Amino acid sequence: MFTSNPFADLTLFLAPLFMQVYVVLMILAVAAGTLIDMRHKGSARYFMQARQASRARATRQLSGGERMSLAVRTLLNEVLTAGEFHKPRRRISHLLTFYGVLLYLITTIVLVFAYPTPETPAPAAWPVLWNIGALMILVGGCWFFFFIRVDVAKEGHSPFRLMRADLFIVSLLASVIFAFAWECVQAVGNLTATQIFFGIYLFFTTLLFFGVPWSKFAHMFYKPAAAFQRRVEEADGSTSLPRPADVRYIER
Amino acid sequence: MGIFSSRKTHFVDSDILVIGGGFGGCGATYESRYWGRDLKIILVEKANIERSGAVAHGLSAINCYMGMRWNENQPEDYVRYARGDLLGIVREDIVYDNARHVDSTVHKFEEWGLPIMKDEKTGHYLREGKWQIMIHGESYKPIVAEAARKAATEVYNRIMVTHLLMDRKKPNRVAGAVGFSVRSGDFYVFRAKAVIVGAGGASHIYRPRAIGEGTGRTWYAPWSSAGAYGLLIPIGAKMTQMENRIVLARFKDGYGPVGAWFLLLKSVATNARGEEYEAKWLEHTKAIVGEKYTTSHPFPTCLRNHAMLEEMKAGNGPIYMQTQAVLDSREKEEIGWEDFLDMTIGQAVVWASQNIDPKEKPSELITTEPYVMGSHATCSGAWGSGPEDCAPDDYQWGYNRMTTVEGLFGAGDTMGGTPHKFSSGSFTEGRLAGKSAVRYVRDLKGDRPQIDDNEIDQLKQAVYKPLENYKLGRNEIVAGTVSPSYLLPLHGLQRLEKLMDEYVGGYTTFYVTSEKLLNRGLELLAMLKEDLSHLGAEDLHQLQRAWELHHRVWTAESVTRHTLFREETRWPGYYYRADHPKLDDAQWHVFTISRYDAKTGEWQMTKVPVHHIVS
Amino acid sequence: MPTFVYMTRCDGCGECVDICPSDIMHIDKTYRRSYNIEPNFCWECYSCVKACPQHAIDVRGYSDFAPLGHSVRVLREEDKGTVSWKIRYRDGRVKEFTFAIRTTPWGSIKAPSEYAAPDPGSLDSLLLAHEPEALMIESLPTLIAKKKG
Repeated sequence: MFTSNPFADLTLFLAPLFMQVYVVLMILAVAAGTLIDMRHKGSARYFMQARQASRARATRQLSGGERMSLAVRTLLNEVLTAGEFHKPRRRISHLLTFYGVLLYLITTIVLVFAYPTPETPAPAAWPVLWNIGALMILVGGCWFFFFIRVDVAKEGHSPFRLMRADLFIVSLLASVIFAFAWECVQAVGNLTATQIFFGIYLFFTTLLFFGVPWSKFAHMFYKPAAAFQRRVEEADGSTSLPRPADVRYIER
Repeated sequence: MGIFSSRKTHFVDSDILVIGGGFGGCGATYESRYWGRDLKIILVEKANIERSGAVAHGLSAINCYMGMRWNENQPEDYVRYARGDLLGIVREDIVYDNARHVDSTVHKFEEWGLPIMKDEKTGHYLREGKWQIMIHGESYKPIVAEAARKAATEVYNRIMVTHLLMDRKKPNRVAGAVGFSVRSGDFYVFRAKAVIVGAGGASHIYRPRAIGEGTGRTWYAPWSSAGAYGLLIPIGAKMTQMENRIVLARFKDGYGPVGAWFLLLKSVATNARGEEYEAKWLEHTKAIVGEKYTTSHPFPTCLRNHAMLEEMKAGNGPIYMQTQAVLDSREKEEIGWEDFLDMTIGQAVVWASQNIDPKEKPSELITTEPYVMGSHATCSGAWGSGPEDCAPDDYQWGYNRMTTVEGLFGAGDTMGGTPHKFSSGSFTEGRLAGKSAVRYVRDLKGDRPQIDDNEIDQLKQAVYKPLENYKLGRNEIVAGTVSPSYLLPLHGLQRLEKLMDEYVGGYTTFYVTSEKLLNRGLELLAMLKEDLSHLGAEDLHQLQRAWELHHRVWTAESVTRHTLFREETRWPGYYYRADHPKLDDAQWHVFTISRYDAKTGEWQMTKVPVHHIVS
Repeated sequence: MPTFVYMTRCDGCGECVDICPSDIMHIDKTYRRSYNIEPNFCWECYSCVKACPQHAIDVRGYSDFAPLGHSVRVLREEDKGTVSWKIRYRDGRVKEFTFAIRTTPWGSIKAPSEYAAPDPGSLDSLLLAHEPEALMIESLPTLIAKKKG
């Protein structure tokens, strides 16, 4: 079951073009959603203003090379290894979910575009990786949803109290859960169940991507930009934070 | 509270229950563990002991340290100092007791890691003034909290204690407390053999000078919500000196401290024309309090306030601290800034926001709105039993620091008649209460207090009623804060602050009140008390605010009744009785004592003589 | 001067929710990040500011008396035992300070139960724990009651 391409078997009732158009639509939805949201909030203008104000406060100018080095460090530390998280369990669950999503998305695109029908079977590695990606999202996401979400962990709310901030994680988890459900019933040959679960999977996946203006989705763009900006401010002296102390008072 | 959760009740049994994780409570926890190695000692705090209480920011000085090791001061001198500052009326036995032990507390603090500034020449602690030493105190509370965590069997953070429980077998004996978790909403029933209350005194009883956001910047912490008094008064503990509300002269708006400026940096306060003004009001002050009390050294806190108020009323304000005259070195500039940054960062923010560099410009001083507490230049609180060796017979009835309710001990702002404890003295008083509580528990042997299950059920309902009121009442209106059937906790608080200000001597009246005003205040308080049963809390945070208001209202009524009872003006500069404008030692050289009787709803007011055990 | 939280820096870890003595740092429902729900109960104690691992919390002076354009920021470094401040005036002047906060390692306080247990008889004495040694004088001062009731 996990070694065959679930998207290919959809062609029983769905033209392969459907999923390909759908994937392109979802990518466009993210781009459009982000741009509309930014325009609506004026966030691009805000960031430009903030960056100018910060540059005006700079006590030294950074060279292009220094900037590049800071960008690389941001990529390696904050983006690729979730280094911003101070607590181990938050970091690990984010890494699981983050790489799970990357894997899941990339393998989806490969499966949908390169191996669209049963006549073009995918090497087993791709569906396996797709499932692993989905599993990583499930584990990391559920761990986050039930135990790590700060309103649950620190404020004492029930995990089932949902608020707007949960749109992203709920639609992501639901998409993955119904992807598994659809894959399973499709593998045992139940057509009606397949259509139902696939339909629900599509619903939550659409919600995930169209929900960009209202959800935390866009943090994948803002957070790295903010992390980079923070490093720049520390380096060029424009930060309002004090420098680390160069003395030590604790006697061992 | 989520869809799938339900309100559980947790029973927690202990030998000693400490309520309030501030300096008093942490001291009590530490000491009771030292003497009671195998006792179950529970510390319960409505916030997080790491930063809870009045020392959240930190402190820049320890204001109660004798320095007996260097022959700097003796405890008797401290009694004279406190007595002079409060115009004769202090519990000399308890003040002496705190003073003789406080040095060991401070030495332990240093051992634990609190950086204390040293005098370069002598190597002694750097004195700010005769009784005060300078510290680098940003982490004062985390250090002390660490000591308490290492002592307690368990620390319960984010549990607000709302009521004390009484023993159903033996009258007038405490049996524990109830409260709720501010996070989970669960109900907690604490059953204990001894209870030590180290809860907060009262801020936000009187209208603050600020409006809006600025009302957060009270001099005393906004989370000092009168738990000490609000827990003790309803169960009939005797309270003393509740009329002794404190007003402080501080840097305006930010309420930054003035001690280091006056004592260490030797700065002076002037009127708007740059003139020192205090001396010219001396005769005026003597006309109110008599010659004797104006010869106290240092000059009493309230009388310095009085001079400032008279100067302001004469139109000679703003009053200024001439900081620029004394900051003539980088070292002094650092001391001036650290003084604020260690304990009242908001004042540094005022400077930065108004472009005031203390090296260049003076800063305004003002008198604050009144507060009610027991550890500063004021001594409101519970009437407590004194130390066995030196307390006069009518000041002791058994265990040191026990209130008039058996098994109930107090420390810090909870304990009355003992001003000038500050942080170190409050921790010391906690230690004294802790050791006493261990002795009490030992002497109890098998005789354990029993709680009343009916009382628990009734209290459980009462505790959550504001949530219920809001939930039901919300159905009546579309939206917004205005409801005809419930009152938000902030509404109740603002009504309290306004009525206390207008009728019981708040800042808008220049702290003046009279019998007629006080009686009108009581009428309005009565209606507010009735309205408390209609408080509406939207969530657990608002529920905490609702119970804080309950404790504040109890305290405010006590303050009003005590102010009515004491027919004199003992502490001009704190408050004035316009109808009894002078100090009257013949009639009123006494402690005022009150006791509330829950069965009848009556308050009994009595006088107790002040015994001077130190010459 | 109440606190506020920078959108780009807060990652919803909840340290501020845990530490706030006033219980006013809570989680926003739209962003799952923290914010100050009750600035009129904010004492500006900076507990949350110091506790935030991302330096996401800052303070803006109380609106009723603090003009805009200032900044008072802190860096508390527990392992060094230091606290550093950077103050920016409305008119642009900057002041920086560093002070000590502790001289011993965190967690190093000796628990009271680690001391030798006191003699049973001393429970009835006037001495508190570690006395008279910790007083650094010969013995505890006493006073005989002068006035009986």
